[in-house]
Amino acid sequence: MDNTANSRNSDQNIAIQQELKLKVARKEILNSVIPYAGFIFIIVFFTIVTRGKTVTVSNLTSLINQCFTITLIAVGASFVYAHGGFDFSIGGASGLAQLMGALLLQYLGTPIWMCVIFMIATTVLCSCCVATISLRLGVPVFVASLCVRSIAKGIVETACQDAEIILSYERFKFINNIEVKTIILLVVVAVGYYLFEYTRFGKHQKAIGGNINTARQAGIKVKKEIFLAYIFFGFCVGISSVFSLFRDCTVTAQSGSGIEFNIMIAIVLGGFPMNGGDRSKIPKAILGALTITALTNGLIIWGMDANLVSGFKGLLFLIIIALSYDRSNGKLVS
Amino acid sequence: MSSKLILSAKGVCKAFGLTRALIDVDIDISRGEIRGLIGENGSGKSTFSSIIGGAQKADKGTFYLKEKPYKPTSMVDAQNQGISMIIQEMGNISKISVASNIFAGRLEQFSRFGFLDWKKINREANRVLEDIGAPEIKAEMIIDELNFEDRKIVEVARAMLSDPDILIIDETTTALAQKGRGIIYNLIQRLHKSNKAVLFISHDLDELMEVCNTITVLRDGVVIDTLKENEMSVDVMRKLMIGRESSGSYYRPDYDGRCSDQVVLEAKQISLRSYFKNINIALRKGEILGFGGLSGCGMHEIGRVLFGIDKPITGTVTLLQKDRKIPIRDTSVAVANHMAYVSKDRDKEAIILNASIKNNITLPSLPRLSKKAGLITKKSETELADAQIKLLSIKCRNGNQLVKELSGGNKQKVVFSKWLGKESDVLILDCPTRGIDIGVKEDMYQLMMKLKARGKSIIMISEELTELLGMSDRILIFKDGKLSKEFMRSEDLGEKNIIEYMI
Repeated sequence: MDNTANSRNSDQNIAIQQELKLKVARKEILNSVIPYAGFIFIIVFFTIVTRGKTVTVSNLTSLINQCFTITLIAVGASFVYAHGGFDFSIGGASGLAQLMGALLLQYLGTPIWMCVIFMIATTVLCSCCVATISLRLGVPVFVASLCVRSIAKGIVETACQDAEIILSYERFKFINNIEVKTIILLVVVAVGYYLFEYTRFGKHQKAIGGNINTARQAGIKVKKEIFLAYIFFGFCVGISSVFSLFRDCTVTAQSGSGIEFNIMIAIVLGGFPMNGGDRSKIPKAILGALTITALTNGLIIWGMDANLVSGFKGLLFLIIIALSYDRSNGKLVS
Repeated sequence: MSSKLILSAKGVCKAFGLTRALIDVDIDISRGEIRGLIGENGSGKSTFSSIIGGAQKADKGTFYLKEKPYKPTSMVDAQNQGISMIIQEMGNISKISVASNIFAGRLEQFSRFGFLDWKKINREANRVLEDIGAPEIKAEMIIDELNFEDRKIVEVARAMLSDPDILIIDETTTALAQKGRGIIYNLIQRLHKSNKAVLFISHDLDELMEVCNTITVLRDGVVIDTLKENEMSVDVMRKLMIGRESSGSYYRPDYDGRCSDQVVLEAKQISLRSYFKNINIALRKGEILGFGGLSGCGMHEIGRVLFGIDKPITGTVTLLQKDRKIPIRDTSVAVANHMAYVSKDRDKEAIILNASIKNNITLPSLPRLSKKAGLITKKSETELADAQIKLLSIKCRNGNQLVKELSGGNKQKVVFSKWLGKESDVLILDCPTRGIDIGVKEDMYQLMMKLKARGKSIIMISEELTELLGMSDRILIFKDGKLSKEFMRSEDLGEKNIIEYMI
């Protein structure tokens, strides 16, 4: 054996390895920067093309309102997406909760705090239904959640067929307070982040998303953990529904519609892996939520027709998926 | 033996993302040569052969086949130019006939006015099958009706169809029994005599010694040495492969099969439909209990039931601790009470490929790491993972590296370390050394001995008799879902004594 030749080769090898590592590290940094760059680009782009209309006080207030709803849900959805659950029921559940809350207030005169509990219970129940159907019957989450969404939406549409339910805006103005909202949002984000990154609950979700067999063989009660994720998710959707109701003070057949798709785009835009797993991060979901809100808002202020906006978002989703979906193992790489 | 070159490869380089699989590899193969290619997993031997066989392209390097430049664009192209390959994994297309498999991709030659002449196709296929020595396989059979071995033989027939100048055999024989091996050895001899060449890849060093007349050793993508027939010995090869002296024998040196009478895990009358029936097992403290048998004998499923992954239809599994009897209902009970399980299907079951080494190692230990309010600090995770990485010397950048970037042996080390970090007392290891190179294998055996010495109990399920004989205090042989024989550790016990109870 020629030792000198070998050692030379090993040295070369080490040099080449280091160069490759550097390349990969650069790529990783680039990948993590792209979602942030995209967010900033959208803000700057729309500020310029709308000649500053997107950054007026009135628009910023409405932006914050919109962000509030979708960010709340994104935090909850992170837990479900992390274990690989592709939930599509949010809009239906939220609409149903708003209907329930409005009916209780309007016709039964139930106290507000009880209504709030009842609304949150409604969305938790909906997401528990999704979890039960999917776990008991072995149906994919997407299908189960689509069924629940349809049922919930059916109820809302039937109830609002003849007339919208309109509440008095003045009566609930105190809930529509920006400070209250900010505090609630910060609390939910903080709790969500803690649970997700620093406790078994979040880590188990990521493990289940990474490999359900490994998770089970590591002693994780997979079904229980998945169920818990749905409860937390339902809770977040519930809170957002409460504030949606008191902001609009109106329940129509369209209440809650479209949130699920916005969440889906938010998840992808922020670089959150669509099949969950180890690279799931709450900040990614939040960044995505902010981006999609800024984008929707910007397009409308710019003058795009609301119906076109929805089509545009579909196209955007397709493009991002095409660019970032790693087809080799069915995982989304950020 | 004519020394005329048949294939010459110069300066071959290939990288997969971060991993450099081949670095400046020069290999010349002469007519009549049976060239063995050896190296640990990740050394680049399969990469090299698949480049030659046209399955993938080199990043750099030149090839000459029969003195003409050679640059195959696909496996079919390589075959047309005279190089055929039999690969490690199953290479059949299911649900279609044997003949269709043999001629897949080259059926045009039988086409007349747009119709296929199936009579002729089947006749040709039968001729090839007869020619290689497997006349009992018929062209009309559907491939799924054949057993594993016969399906592999169909692949051999496909490779031999074009009368290749070079035949590449990539770890095919390890999966085959006597019949399949016989066919392949005969073909190798035939190619040797007709002045053609064979590139033979195997982990089995004894087999390589017997079959090959030249052996090239690869390590970390570099050619370390090429041995002629008179230079070959198992010890030399092993040393070149792992780059250091090896003890030669890496199994347990002692033949003391005694251990305490204290039973730690007990299965009574367990059955699982279609796999096994009424099995009783008692594992004792500090014992290495081997499960042996053919792959379909039910032993793997018994391991799964013992750990609570599958539920038995009859019987119970009980873990016995000092004064407690714990029925194993599911995996969470097993893990909480310090049982561990290493699946034989590592990538699909034992490991999260897209997660970091750290998160894989800490996964079963999370309940222990949880402090007040469920807090798991980053520091406690890193400490646990780093200690294990050091203990088992896992080759990696750091604990944050993704497991999928590691070689097979290092992945297996990660699997072991997650259970060592959990401080497991009863370990069920299903094929713990499958697809692992010698260096890591040796480490795994050392580890098992250490665990035994510390009073841990191990069930080792294995399809390799040498490893069962080398490591177990007691061996249970299963056949058709029943216990067929029990052997105690003894110096006189050999493979021959056992095989008759397996088949």
